Amino acid sequence: MRRRGLALVVLVALAAVAVAACERGGNAIKVVIADYSKDHTRPFWQALGEAYTKQTGVKVDLQVVDWNSIDQQVSTMLQNNQVPDVLNLNSFSSYAKDGLLYTADEVLSPKTKDDFLEAFARGGEYQGKLYGLPILSSARAFFYNRALFAKAGLAGPPRTWDDFVQAAKKIQALGGGTIGYALPLGPEEAQAEWSIWMWNNGGDWKSGGRWAIDSDRNVQTLTFLANLANTHKVTQVNPGKTNRTDGAFQLFKDGKVGMVMGFSPLAAQLDAEGKVDYGVAEMPSNIGAAVTLGVEDYLMAFKKKGNQESVKKFLDLYYQPENITRWITAEGFLPVTKSGLRQMSANPKLQPYLAALPNAKLAPTTDPAWDKVKLDVQQSLGAAVQPGGDPREVLGRIQKNATAAESGR
Amino acid sequence: MRASLGRYSVTGLYQGAVGGRNYARLAEQEALPTVLANTVVWVGVVVAVTLLVSLALAQFLNLEFPGRRLVRWALIVPWAASLIMTAKLFVWIYDYYFGILNRVLVAAGVLAAPVDWLGDDATVMGAMIGVGVFVSLPFTTYVLLAGLQTIPGEVYEAARVDGASRWRTYAAVTLPLLRPALLVATVLNVIYVFNSFPIVWTLNDRNPGFAHDTLITYMYKVAFKSALRDVGLAAAVGVVNVALILLAVVVYLRAVRWREQEA
Repeated sequence: MRRRGLALVVLVALAAVAVAACERGGNAIKVVIADYSKDHTRPFWQALGEAYTKQTGVKVDLQVVDWNSIDQQVSTMLQNNQVPDVLNLNSFSSYAKDGLLYTADEVLSPKTKDDFLEAFARGGEYQGKLYGLPILSSARAFFYNRALFAKAGLAGPPRTWDDFVQAAKKIQALGGGTIGYALPLGPEEAQAEWSIWMWNNGGDWKSGGRWAIDSDRNVQTLTFLANLANTHKVTQVNPGKTNRTDGAFQLFKDGKVGMVMGFSPLAAQLDAEGKVDYGVAEMPSNIGAAVTLGVEDYLMAFKKKGNQESVKKFLDLYYQPENITRWITAEGFLPVTKSGLRQMSANPKLQPYLAALPNAKLAPTTDPAWDKVKLDVQQSLGAAVQPGGDPREVLGRIQKNATAAESGR
Repeated sequence: MRASLGRYSVTGLYQGAVGGRNYARLAEQEALPTVLANTVVWVGVVVAVTLLVSLALAQFLNLEFPGRRLVRWALIVPWAASLIMTAKLFVWIYDYYFGILNRVLVAAGVLAAPVDWLGDDATVMGAMIGVGVFVSLPFTTYVLLAGLQTIPGEVYEAARVDGASRWRTYAAVTLPLLRPALLVATVLNVIYVFNSFPIVWTLNDRNPGFAHDTLITYMYKVAFKSALRDVGLAAAVGVVNVALILLAVVVYLRAVRWREQEA
């Protein structure tokens, strides 16, 4: 009798836990979004969440997380079994590899899926299936200071690398602390700056499906960058230890720098401050055709029991053209959908970036090893452009680690 | 602790137990000797300099002078400000192009040309130590000040009657009586400085690699910001950190008590 009583208590307790679990699965979804800007990110997603709750009765547990700590926080969530239902991040393939994600076919209506621009849809594929749903994009462009160019007697932005070096030398020669080119190869985003130079010299991350980071062409490119710093001396001090946001961009915004690789949010800041008369152009190229870096961020849907319908409805709501375009416009980024591209083409300010978008290349984010390769580049590339740095040795080490990351560890 | 015995994917997903393998791998890390040396220098110099300066400051604040209350309040400010804000402020003070430090030193003729304090390998640690001392001063000074105020006036009178010089009084009367306060200040500072993440992280965030990391920032980089990207290995670093700090404190206390018995 007593034993039966105990069994009953255990059973009731288990049932209660199960019900609680179901309820949580059915009545709320956890949405984790990276913080793109204080003014727009939270208000937009909050409003979207409220609209969603009104429509479906499912609550949204929204978390807006700072870029600096998002990797850490998401990793902690996974360790503690508090997996989000929808996650926004700049990588996706490791999650797909770990078997955590729904494919697009499982959580998007065909109409939404077909609206993605093809390059960005391809950038979200892992083993032939779309897991990383493009949320927004950006493209880099070449920024130059018109006032300094005029002072140095330069007619326009350089098209070739030779022109670029000449322009940088002339601007540096103006004296008074002016800098030819601000080169940020510090840990914040070395892989972005590097991609652009690498591609505009005909090199690439991979060749024939294999990592080719230490190819002769890439060594040549990195040597060129090291020479800018150490032989021509046309960069800011310690380019291998300069970050983008508070280093290179800050110097350009202060009018000290002739040229920098920027993107649309930098243009927005420059316009707001009104201090620098700048122009936006294509990247200088050593191979004739200019290539720029496109960056795509992702939304991912995590597989959890009973959340598929709720997640699907949430994603379909975000991807309604008026929602996604309103947000991307507010944040100053670029579209990832055909409908968005049509709508945003009307804005003349976005012309240089939208024009560059078709020629933009993406980093190899579809490869799960990229998550480690990217961090390796961030932590080691800078050493190559410091005095005494060895480009071939640095790239060789990154290549070795990349190959090792590919094979498992 | 448990995490240090497991293997995790890049995403943070647990993939099974690996026993002591994370510890074995930690011992193989190329950067480890540098990081250990950095940690010893960082903790040792920050705590030593903080104590010396605090001793002088506490002595000064123990004097009667007009405006003493104001100075005492002013000293609390770096303590009350958030560490990250203080660190960011110093990033700008040290900045090569915009920093006030270079401007002042060049104008005063101390430096011929500006120095990239946070980028030059020779100056990064010194720059970080300066900030470390700055934020540790308030707490330490107040502990020592409290210690000074427990010393009764009679002992000084006795010393004066005996004809002891000022320095002799300080060395023979003040310092020995300050011993408990010094002990507390040292132990707490060692723990606090060892665990200090924001200063090293913020001032060193532009430098690639591990050349200027302490064990605490190294642990974070191993987990999230380097090609290792390994939560299990980082957890092993964390366990080693706790063991090290315990060891350091025990060794210190042992050494101090041993000398007490000797004397």
